[in-house]
Amino acid sequence: MKIKSFAAGIVAVLLASLGLCACAGLPGFGEKQQQEDQGADAVIGSGRQTLRIVSGSENQELEPILEEFAQESGIRIEMTYQGSLDIMRTLEQETIEYDAVWPASSLWLNVGDTGHRVKHAESISITPVVFGIRQSLAEELGFVGREVSVQDILDAITAGELKFCMTSATQSNSGASAYIGFLYALLGNPDMITEEDLQSPRLQADIQSLLSGVDRSSGSSDWLKDMFLEGGYDAMVNYECLIIQANEELESRGEETLYVVYPYDGLTLADSPLGYVDQGDDAKEEAFLELQEYLLSDEAQNAIQRTGRRTGYTGISEENQDVFRTDWGVQPDRVLSTMKMPSTEVLFEALNLYQTDFKKPSLNLYCLDYSGSMSGKGNEQLVAAMEQLLLQENAEKNFLQASKDEVNVLILFDDEILAEYTAVGSGEELEALYDRVAEQETGSGTDMYLAADEALNILSAYDLSQYTPAIILLTDGMSGGSYDMFMEHYQALGVDVPVFSIMFGDADPEQLEELAAATNARVFDGREDLIDAFRKVKGYN
Amino acid sequence: MKAKIAGLVILLLVVVLAVGYTLLGKSRETVEIAGYVGGEKIGLLEDEEVQRLLQRKYHLEMDYSRAGSIEMVTEDHTGMDFLFPSSQTALEIYEAQYGNPVKSEIVLNTPIVLYARTAVADALLAEGIAWEEEGVCYVDMQKLAACIEEGTPWSEIGLPELYGNVTVSTTDPTKSNSGNMFAGLLANTLCGGTADEDSLGAILPRLQTIFRNLGYMESSSSDLFDQFLKTGIGAKPMVAGYENQLLEFAAEEPDTWEQVKGDIRILYPSPTVWSSHVFIALDEAGTAGIDALMDEEVQEMAWNRHGFRTGVDGLASGTEQFGVDGVAGQVTRVMNMPDADTMERIIEALE
Repeated sequence: MKIKSFAAGIVAVLLASLGLCACAGLPGFGEKQQQEDQGADAVIGSGRQTLRIVSGSENQELEPILEEFAQESGIRIEMTYQGSLDIMRTLEQETIEYDAVWPASSLWLNVGDTGHRVKHAESISITPVVFGIRQSLAEELGFVGREVSVQDILDAITAGELKFCMTSATQSNSGASAYIGFLYALLGNPDMITEEDLQSPRLQADIQSLLSGVDRSSGSSDWLKDMFLEGGYDAMVNYECLIIQANEELESRGEETLYVVYPYDGLTLADSPLGYVDQGDDAKEEAFLELQEYLLSDEAQNAIQRTGRRTGYTGISEENQDVFRTDWGVQPDRVLSTMKMPSTEVLFEALNLYQTDFKKPSLNLYCLDYSGSMSGKGNEQLVAAMEQLLLQENAEKNFLQASKDEVNVLILFDDEILAEYTAVGSGEELEALYDRVAEQETGSGTDMYLAADEALNILSAYDLSQYTPAIILLTDGMSGGSYDMFMEHYQALGVDVPVFSIMFGDADPEQLEELAAATNARVFDGREDLIDAFRKVKGYN
Repeated sequence: MKAKIAGLVILLLVVVLAVGYTLLGKSRETVEIAGYVGGEKIGLLEDEEVQRLLQRKYHLEMDYSRAGSIEMVTEDHTGMDFLFPSSQTALEIYEAQYGNPVKSEIVLNTPIVLYARTAVADALLAEGIAWEEEGVCYVDMQKLAACIEEGTPWSEIGLPELYGNVTVSTTDPTKSNSGNMFAGLLANTLCGGTADEDSLGAILPRLQTIFRNLGYMESSSSDLFDQFLKTGIGAKPMVAGYENQLLEFAAEEPDTWEQVKGDIRILYPSPTVWSSHVFIALDEAGTAGIDALMDEEVQEMAWNRHGFRTGVDGLASGTEQFGVDGVAGQVTRVMNMPDADTMERIIEALE
């Protein structure tokens, strides 16, 4: 029981405002402010009250609408983007560093909120998970102007006529939804998927062959859309609203747009709930409610609808019909009849199997920087990072564990190749590599291009249709050597392999960004949130 | 120098004010009590007029965390002053585990109902699964249960635009009360009378199949209702909930209700069961909550603004104020829920 008195409240308010006035003038205040920003993917507005929101990446598209709110209210919003399943895991932690959560679907919010800390959760908009297929290919496949089942799509995939991109089912809602839809179809659409069903050898063989049709993957839906726009791919599983946005971009570039296919027996809806994480701060709660009320206001709901999301209770308004274009296959008036998600036990069993057995095994080529500039702190960070990844007991805690057919190659370099190690699977062979990483001493110069080039040599010995390959540089990014030479080799090889970087030490992202841009990858800061960086890299492959 | 003096003066002023308020304020201290509350009652507790009244008359503030009715009595509730589940069953489970609480009382009542889109209600009426009586729509539970058990596709009852079989979406009966009560109601229906220890065994496998086929279930009644309203006929054609949920929605958001009311019907299972919202005080401080909520004015607001029936017989003092068609003036065809032991066996079987 708490005794609250009016007087105590008044004193607290007065003292707090005095306190704030006092320290605003001190040097270092700005610094602290900056520190708080670290880790957020987007900082919107500049007000004193801050709302830190962990959100599905699809909401990146709503930043202009949030911007307007931040301007009007003087509340600063810090957005951190994660896949919805990662948000669920964040919610399960003892301490939550965010004031609000905004996953794609309430399922993950409810499952993750074991501590009952989320309140005021309300759906902001609705969008279904659909297939977007290049218009001409959709026509060729006979998917235009008729009802399509998941089985029809699977047939096209197994016949080699359709390759597609999807997000990681263990990280992102759209990927998980699509995957469950596949399982239903492969099982012949039973009333409900059971744990016994998942053990069926036939299902296991079918889903493996199906997932081998996945071109590229990613940890969250908006990044998948961005990757898709860079890539020249045929199809993707994503939210209707993101397919609409991708099409707007494709059309403005004069490129072929995607046709939206709603599989009638495998549809799910993302209801985008925004909920407050109650940690006892009344002022924050008020700020949160102000934001939520704004987002649910007629004006904001209309603006959100114009981004291709379904809002309100009465369908898409007359004036927004032009966004939901029927010539793209979008069906604004369709009855969105959904499949049933299995119970959480079955769902998580299915997701575990996806991670360890079903998805295409990864072929990870880690290039580890042992140059002079990494000695000391940089090297310590790198070794600690590999400890989290290679020792499976650590990896499991963060859903980073290796699958049974996964291949991990370590290339240790300074200005030459110092050593190379390969481990298959998730057993002792992999764990033993940690000692090699820890005992290697740092050397002199740096040539990361040489190491990446060596990675390409190693890659070319594998049948890449059986793996999802990625090159991952763990480095401070300051390198000699030749970018051009590497890119020449990369292009000659003609493979779609992303070159990711995780930065350590006194990192300089410039050279790394160049590599990432050329290979449709991303650069992460391993000093900020290493686990997040690894999870994102893993989601991409 | 001047600035320093000014600063000192401000500080002194603050101290004087603080001491003054502390002394004066003692007489009207507000007591804050904390507890777990089922989601469907949050509207009532968040109602500013209710809050003001509790402040003014009882110097009471209620802080809550949302939890399912079954969860809140079975899981850890240290540090809480009260639990506010939605059924007698929850109280009985609590008593079996922890003994008698400091105090408990039923403060609100509402029957379990079904909500359906108009197209779905029309199909049920056309199939004879539901019927109308003085503008109120009733559902024959025997027929509906048979439909669900047989796996009748929606298309077969005239709804080809819906994928899958006829179902009623409920909350997770092992966590939340509305789902739990619907499970009790279904058990009664399958048994052909109030289910008990003797009759339960034979129907348990059937009940398990019905709930297994529902797959993932929401853990909160308010989330389920919100999704029913927002995700449309395709995702949630028909849900089980509390009567008060729609009445409260119509009272709180009359403009939105005006837009959607043509598409939503309330259906009374025949027979149905009462959800009795019991306030369980875990300590002395918590008992203040009972007095406050039983206040006549609060009870009036609970009906007029939040749709909770408050009298023992469920007789409502007028339903016109909600602007909702088809609300029963009195709920008469009611059956007892299975007793707590039987319900616990049902929960175990569905876990």
